[in-house]
Amino acid sequence: MFIRNDDKITTTQTSIFITDTVLGAGILTLPRGVIEAAKTPDVWLSVLLGGFIVIMVTMVMVKLSQQFPNHTVYQYSKRIVGTIPGGILGVCLIGYYIIIAGFEVRIFAEITMYYLLEGTPIWAIIIPFIWVGTYICFGGINAIARVFQIIFPISIFILVLSYFLSIRLFDIDNLRPVLGEGVLPVFKGLKSTVLIFTGCEVIMTLVAHMQHPERAVRATFAGIGIPFVLYLMTVIVVVGGMSVDSVMNSTWPTIDLLRSFEITGLIFERFEFPFLVIWMMQLFCNFTSFYFNASLGISQVFRLKIHPVIFGLIPVIFITTMLPERINDVFKLGDTIGKMGIFLFFLVPVLLTVILLFRKKVLNHHV
Amino acid sequence: MYRCKNLLTLLLLSSLVVTQGCWSSKEIEDLSVYAGLALDVGERPEVERNLEREGATYYKKNLLTATIQIVPIKSFERQEKSSEKQLLKYSNLRLTGDSVFEIMRQYSTRRERPVIGHHLKVIVVSTKLAQQNQMDQLMDFVLRDNDIRPSCRVFLSKGKAYDTFISNQPEEVPAFRINSMTQNRYRTNKVMKDVNLTQLDGLLHSQQSFLLQNIVSTKGEIEFSGAGIIKGETSKWIGDLNQENVESLSWIQGTGQGGVIKSYDWRNKNITYEIKSMHSKTTAKLQGDAISFHVAIESNGRLIENWDTKENPSELAYLEGAEKVFEERLTTMLDHLMRKMQSKYKVDVAGFGKVLSIKYPKKWKSVKDNWDEVFSQVPVTFEVKLTITDFGSSTE
Repeated sequence: MFIRNDDKITTTQTSIFITDTVLGAGILTLPRGVIEAAKTPDVWLSVLLGGFIVIMVTMVMVKLSQQFPNHTVYQYSKRIVGTIPGGILGVCLIGYYIIIAGFEVRIFAEITMYYLLEGTPIWAIIIPFIWVGTYICFGGINAIARVFQIIFPISIFILVLSYFLSIRLFDIDNLRPVLGEGVLPVFKGLKSTVLIFTGCEVIMTLVAHMQHPERAVRATFAGIGIPFVLYLMTVIVVVGGMSVDSVMNSTWPTIDLLRSFEITGLIFERFEFPFLVIWMMQLFCNFTSFYFNASLGISQVFRLKIHPVIFGLIPVIFITTMLPERINDVFKLGDTIGKMGIFLFFLVPVLLTVILLFRKKVLNHHV
Repeated sequence: MYRCKNLLTLLLLSSLVVTQGCWSSKEIEDLSVYAGLALDVGERPEVERNLEREGATYYKKNLLTATIQIVPIKSFERQEKSSEKQLLKYSNLRLTGDSVFEIMRQYSTRRERPVIGHHLKVIVVSTKLAQQNQMDQLMDFVLRDNDIRPSCRVFLSKGKAYDTFISNQPEEVPAFRINSMTQNRYRTNKVMKDVNLTQLDGLLHSQQSFLLQNIVSTKGEIEFSGAGIIKGETSKWIGDLNQENVESLSWIQGTGQGGVIKSYDWRNKNITYEIKSMHSKTTAKLQGDAISFHVAIESNGRLIENWDTKENPSELAYLEGAEKVFEERLTTMLDHLMRKMQSKYKVDVAGFGKVLSIKYPKKWKSVKDNWDEVFSQVPVTFEVKLTITDFGSSTE
């Protein structure tokens, strides 16, 4: 196998990169999040609608990024709005990425401590995780993309298999009535379904690294489409298998669904264990992606070498991870990230595009 | 530098010895795996009373007695050696207190191997305890715990829950027997669809009334017999359905996978119908403000037993006559159940509320909070169609 030395990734790798960045801890808490907001079984409609909105916004991001070949958002935002405002924007993005990276690690640690390794101290779970992440970030975007390519099929297979096996609990009546209380609950649920797509913003740095940037639209469609379908499946399977009332009462509904049945005769009798173990790899991808994007951002905004930046971020991420004291704080942080995400990535690309068009068309600037 | 390297090697080597294996792993031989949990009204067994007289007490109310059924790993090994003296495959341990979790931890003061809940299969709650206490409070710990899987099944017991955990057959574990008996639904519709903890959680949270399979026990024998009703508002036990009611319920819901209808024909000779298939469709109607339900039941089956030697089952006229007899019998059974639900206990445990909520979500919202009351006044009509498709391997 040949080893690439440049910083380019293929179209498929880009899709998988986006998928692995979006698909993370959300799958474990999503059903409860939407149901708490909507309180009806129509939540799958919220996911459907949320997915469409997200795809539209990411298209804006792609189109914007395609205007500046080989430039990431950190670089071209400076060219659109000037060095200082662009730099501030970049710092906002970096902060956002670091917080999500910390959040993903924390969720991973919480679940591991509760279901798998009770008694293991939290630092013993987190630190190796961050170290391995550091190692892979050192390899650059190419190494990361290749690791994602290996992990992606395994984790998706186990996820779909687990859902398939839980069909025995599925009862269509749990998903009825459809639109029993009108469309209002669907919109209420939208808030938390848009939130689970946080991570799609990495496309603004990925386009610069694509071998064929002109295929970015296709890559993004696939990259958002896969998690979109999986999220839809998650909500349908979990609500259908557990009923609205049960999901609302469960801290980790997806895991509880897998804990609700036992399969005799197969290699595994209990599917939450293979699922959790495999999903850890998925969370690792998630974390690595945010970690890498944050380090890339710092090195580009402040014009530093990337390797010391990666090292420097280790303690920052560790502290971010350990900041929430209770599990309530962790979930509250998750909500805050969602709100930040909506602000940063639904306004910023739109705003930047408007300013860019204004300067190009009205002021005839050459940007 | 060289010494430094040596020190590092030594440190790494010693870490191999100190931290080998999993961080907080426990050997399963050092733990007590419990397969069943029975909850009774707080009545201290004699051993416990004696221990307490000696001063072994702590701050508690004697609200409930929890029995855990431990499946010891040792007994399997010894089994072959002591073939004369049959060793029980399980041991029951009872403790009294008022917090299920505290009791669980209290077991560690009585046995050398602490208990773990990973393999809990069955929870039995005595109706007396469920009558005095709210189910959602009793079940709170098991729903919250991380070791106990939500796949665990929940039952009620007519007498003491503890008695269902005793078996007079030494080679079997009562908790496993109860667990496996839920799979017999394809044989008789007297066995209800099992309720696991996830479903129980949803039922308790929805505040609607529901059923749990009842277990009756005597001297080491048990039987699934009917079901106990847990009232939604109070989350307490209010009464029982008998075996026939549970059969009728499966007809209304169309969930039965097998079973029989036995009746007596015009010569008062018994004839038996074997259920091959069962379908039902419940429709809700709303006229103005008045709710009504119509249940259409269809079934195919076989005339499997015929004591009426004067008749010839291969004759169509006789089969049609027999169908009428079975339909009448089923209608009577359904009537008994409806009277029990609507007049005696005033609860809906047959899922009529769900049907209404799907068809008329707005109306459901307005009656949801006192649905049991509303339901007791709602007219329900039945349409029963049984077809005998064959008469087995003997014509006469």
